[in-house]
Amino acid sequence: MAQGIRDKAVILGMGCTRFGERWDMSSDMLMAEAFGEALADAGISRDQIGAAWLGSALDDVNVGNSAIPLATALRLPSMPVTRVENMCATGTEALRAATYAVASGAVDIALALGAEKLKDTGFGGLPIRTKGSVNDLWMPYGSAPGTFAQLAGAYAARYGIDAVDLKRAMAHVSWKSHQNGVHAEKAHLRKAVSMETILNAPMIADPLGLYDCSGVSDGAAAAIICTPEIARSLSRDALVSVKSVQVCASNGWEMQYGEWDGSYVRNTRIASGRAYEEAGITAADLGLTEVHDCFSITELVTMEDLGLSQDGRAVFDVLDGAFDADGRVPCQTDGGLKCFGHPIGASGLRMAYEVYTQLKGRAGVRQLKNIDFGLAHNLGGQPSNSVAAVSVLGRLE
Amino acid sequence: MANRSIQSTGAYLPLLRFERKSARAELSWAGLGGNGRGRRAVAGWDEDALTQAVEAAREAALPVGEAIARVVFASTSSAFSDRSQSVLLSQALNLPRDVETVDLANCRRSAVSALLHALRGAEGAELIVAGEKRATQPGSAANLTWGDGAGAVVVSNGPGVARLLGAGRVNLDLLDSYTSVARGFPYLAEDRFVRDVMLSEALIPAAQAALADAGLQASDVVLAVVPEPVSGLYAAAARKLGLTAPNMIERLGAEAGELGAAAPLFGLAMALEQAEPGQIVLLAGCGNGCDVLLLEVTGKTRRRPAHQALDEGAPLTNYSRLLSLTGGIQLDWGPRAEVNQKVSASVLVRHGREMHGFIGGRDQGGNVQFPKTPFPVNPALSEPGRYEDVILRDEPARVVSITADRLNFTPDPPFYFGLVQFENGARVVMEHCDAKGVAPEVGAPVRMRFRIKAIDRQRQFRSYFWKAAPLERPQLAAKE
Repeated sequence: MAQGIRDKAVILGMGCTRFGERWDMSSDMLMAEAFGEALADAGISRDQIGAAWLGSALDDVNVGNSAIPLATALRLPSMPVTRVENMCATGTEALRAATYAVASGAVDIALALGAEKLKDTGFGGLPIRTKGSVNDLWMPYGSAPGTFAQLAGAYAARYGIDAVDLKRAMAHVSWKSHQNGVHAEKAHLRKAVSMETILNAPMIADPLGLYDCSGVSDGAAAAIICTPEIARSLSRDALVSVKSVQVCASNGWEMQYGEWDGSYVRNTRIASGRAYEEAGITAADLGLTEVHDCFSITELVTMEDLGLSQDGRAVFDVLDGAFDADGRVPCQTDGGLKCFGHPIGASGLRMAYEVYTQLKGRAGVRQLKNIDFGLAHNLGGQPSNSVAAVSVLGRLE
Repeated sequence: MANRSIQSTGAYLPLLRFERKSARAELSWAGLGGNGRGRRAVAGWDEDALTQAVEAAREAALPVGEAIARVVFASTSSAFSDRSQSVLLSQALNLPRDVETVDLANCRRSAVSALLHALRGAEGAELIVAGEKRATQPGSAANLTWGDGAGAVVVSNGPGVARLLGAGRVNLDLLDSYTSVARGFPYLAEDRFVRDVMLSEALIPAAQAALADAGLQASDVVLAVVPEPVSGLYAAAARKLGLTAPNMIERLGAEAGELGAAAPLFGLAMALEQAEPGQIVLLAGCGNGCDVLLLEVTGKTRRRPAHQALDEGAPLTNYSRLLSLTGGIQLDWGPRAEVNQKVSASVLVRHGREMHGFIGGRDQGGNVQFPKTPFPVNPALSEPGRYEDVILRDEPARVVSITADRLNFTPDPPFYFGLVQFENGARVVMEHCDAKGVAPEVGAPVRMRFRIKAIDRQRQFRSYFWKAAPLERPQLAAKE
């Protein structure tokens, strides 16, 4: 394996807007809000940033094409600015680009900012997008819940899991996130919901009910990355280092080649394996995870894909509370996509924001004890055709 | 002429059968709704005259060892007035690019006329297919008595299951019903007028001419296939001609509806499925005149697609759903329905043949994939791909994953889709159809159906692809 980027870049500061239905703000205002917090946290001036990356996934409905919306919103002074897009993994792509720029020595200080303004679409859920002029001739136009719902049936069939047990475990995933979201000041949904309500919610895509689905939100999140040397020169302590960032994209193997049974996300397994190796840790070293719980079943199988549950055991681990706030490896301490919200391009950075906040000891009533490493898992596309992005953050020794 | 024979027949009905009594109950306040007896076949939102014709053609076994030389598509309800449906049909059936293709429109008896032409002496094997999905107005008699469906027949040289003994024809601009381009819906004449004049001016003279041409008596006819634009037409004709043969169209009309241009071919399939060698079948096509053919049954058909199509299906009792499916009402589906898939002509000319024909590729390592790509998906291969064509439409397949999606827009929710694994190794994420009666489960076998992929409502264009359907359809309860 290549040398990797472990401890070659640290997070100097982060910011995150309140996620939700931000009728009062346009995307440039959201970007400015997240950036302002990150800049203040970093304790630097805008002029010290050497390069910036903007993550926005749905340019046609909100932020706009290219890097110009970010450069303009923040009035970034004549620097290289690039827009990245990798579906729901977009936020982590921005983080990866900024981290790589710093780790390579090309830039001393870099900005990664993700933003999405989804609520201006005028309807719930994600907009329907073209899959490309050729793919549109044959690929179904299923919704996001529709694509992920298929994990459930395939998972149940593979492991012989009773549909009622699986539904309860999925409901527990959402119940836990709602419990956690109550304590996240910037979360979109901050209300606890009973298991009964979750289990009896209207069906969206069998077997996913309303509460098995994350909503869509407006929001932005930002990270300012620099070298450890610069951070130390600024007299910062308790530095949070980027231990690894790994991405794996489908090449059609799942959809076109006959081995995948639809019960797991292969790219998450590959990306997380590489991320652990790059970070020099194992899954057992993780103190918390922020995973891509776009749907409850996604989080459930992700626990296996990340190696936090044995294959076929996540249902039982979830029901045993292994990933609750007081569990073995807490997951979504800020409520996750389910409750904190899911402005697509910002989500990967929002996950990093929570891990960073926990590692900094700033999480208030959500604060976990004795954590050295946290993982953010950001998943774009659909299980059969995905982009998985896994990053590990930890304290800089 | 003596050397030409019908080789096989095919038939297709859509899954749904609307119970006419449901309309009668809904429309009783208006004094509309007909007699409420029987059912009509209702095409899915993703079916049209062409897609049903493709399915009927697939049911007609193609001649062994003889390529189809000519394809004829007949319909009065083609979705396009300037886009050859027979060319699309030939692509869906993976026929050669130089096959002769013919489109017949504007006349309900055109398929029978084409059959007569084929039996009288064209060279080579000929496939004649008729499909209908006609727009009708809510409350009209046609909305309830007409149905959707398709029929097919294959003619070629040599012995087959039936041969032509004689034919008669009368052309007459009789407006039992007409549909103008501007109006879009049919306009029907008074029943009594139609019955009297169609009998005296068209059907009886044509039948008598056919009997004379064949040197047969009416009493020689064992089975009849006579479309009935109005009820009682065949009974009256039989009385006047001395026919005692049962009319196949009677059951078809009661259980599926009047199928327009497809009715004679569907009825012919019914007749040949139950006829014995040596029996005589009278086949009539009615529409601005009549063509009457007298056929001698010369062999037994092995399959029964027409009877199977009548026996299987799913009851539909929701009148508003019928209206939505038949275009009688336009529901407001909300902003999520505003999406339009514009199909590029250049994309279609590059990829349409493989999409319509469901042609995948076998790579040099033996793996089958769809669609073909510059580099094979097979991890064992690293060079650009060279593929052998593999047609997937008849390949056994099963469900790997599936869901019923209630979020995204579809004109007939929910939207079933998921990953399908073919026995030959190919796997394709596909939309499912006909899942209303039996929702597919992981591992369930599925079959492929040719359907509308998407309708671009802004430009009134439609694209076609294949969808997965349950292998079996539910049996319908016996008619009331």
